Amino acid sequence: MTLPAKAFQRWLQGIAPDASTADVCRVSGIKRTTLAQQLVRGKVSVSTVVSISRAYKINPVAALAGFDAYRALAGPPRPPTRNELVSQVSSADLLHALLARPAMDALRGAVAPALSPAPHATSVKNWVDAIDDGEVRHRVSASTGVAPQNYSAQLTANRLSPELAMATALAAGVGPAGGLVATGVITEEEAGWPPGARQAALDSLSDGELTALAGDRLQALGKVLRRQEQDQAQTERIWENLG
Amino acid sequence: MIETLQWTTLAICALMAVARIPSTLRRENRSLFGIFASMTVAILLSIQGPYLIIDQALGGTNLANLLLRFVIFGAIFFMGLRISKGFGADSVYRLITGRTGLLVLLAVSVVMVALFFSMDTAGSSAGLTAISAKDARHFALVEYYGAAGRAYPAYVALALIPAMVRAVQDRLPILIRIAAGLLAVGGVAVALTLLFPLIPPSMGQIEFIINYTAVLCFVIGLALIWVAKLIRGRTGASRRTSTET
Repeated sequence: MTLPAKAFQRWLQGIAPDASTADVCRVSGIKRTTLAQQLVRGKVSVSTVVSISRAYKINPVAALAGFDAYRALAGPPRPPTRNELVSQVSSADLLHALLARPAMDALRGAVAPALSPAPHATSVKNWVDAIDDGEVRHRVSASTGVAPQNYSAQLTANRLSPELAMATALAAGVGPAGGLVATGVITEEEAGWPPGARQAALDSLSDGELTALAGDRLQALGKVLRRQEQDQAQTERIWENLG
Repeated sequence: MIETLQWTTLAICALMAVARIPSTLRRENRSLFGIFASMTVAILLSIQGPYLIIDQALGGTNLANLLLRFVIFGAIFFMGLRISKGFGADSVYRLITGRTGLLVLLAVSVVMVALFFSMDTAGSSAGLTAISAKDARHFALVEYYGAAGRAYPAYVALALIPAMVRAVQDRLPILIRIAAGLLAVGGVAVALTLLFPLIPPSMGQIEFIINYTAVLCFVIGLALIWVAKLIRGRTGASRRTSTET
């Protein structure tokens, strides 16, 4: 959901009272035409607010919480669940961690490399799966009016609008900022996730849990790759006959 | 307006045929050159001026019109064959090259030739309009002859439409999906030619528009697939991170 330009202007007045639009753009790295267009349309994007917040050393979550649509972000951050944390570990890191486990006959002293920061290539889908009790998609669809197939399409593309990310977190009863981390709008740190929380969550998985999770990830990845290969083969066949 | 449409279509077809010459010399999908070349010939034969010249050379008995019909049959046969094979529509491929398809082609051809020779076709006339005007019997014969000539292309087109509609919805490069859409529109246009007897003579222009829409959609659709192949190196393989199943 975009933010109303009026509320945005008010907020901007509060944090940078003397700055011109040009100054704000320069400091935050936003293209002037982009911001001008958003203001003319009366719809300012969430990423604009996040960029400006970072430029002025304000926590973007706190900044967003000042807008009506994101009021749920206000208050002390709710810690992420273990499932959420693990979902934000990339499949490659997960496999590295698995290979370093004794259960995999890991060489003594083998150490998995440090985790790459969230988000990763399938972080949105993995996050929703991690908090889904089986009915979350229906509840999000009912509360936002977004058709289930459009919701699925966003997950497929590893995207989720900030509005839907928030709605999903609320529908699942987890901390409201988790979806914004999974979609890469804000960082873990900005969401108040403790440093090393993902690593700790990963380490807390038993060998069995980690292996099963890695299996699920590999299976999903295999499906995607196989489908891409099929699409590619179909395209090749078309070119072979008609190119 | 009709004249412009005719000559433009002719130019596009001829251009495509010429553009395919290098690939043809490299022995890549030579039937595509055949398709474009025969479409060019077909368009040429459906324009008044060239028709009269060619028919005069053939003896002035409208044999050029019969030739035109078979050139169209050839083009549509090979087009249906390549398209169904390319898009993996095996059932369509069987419908065209299998016993049913060949029987339809044979039956239509026999009927068409029989009708042609049962007419007094002396006197070159594009679209056989002068022959049709001779008497009531010739009017009817020309109508049946025309219907037979439209029947086979419509058969192939109807067989192709569902596969093309499916291809539009598939996860294929966007140019190929647009091409499939154009081929589907072309197929619908060819199928619509079956309804020509229902169009009142005063609205004869509609027939021209449908015919040339069909040809243009087919030619541009096939050209787009080729273009998509030529530019694939630049765009690279699509890297999608789709996980939803």
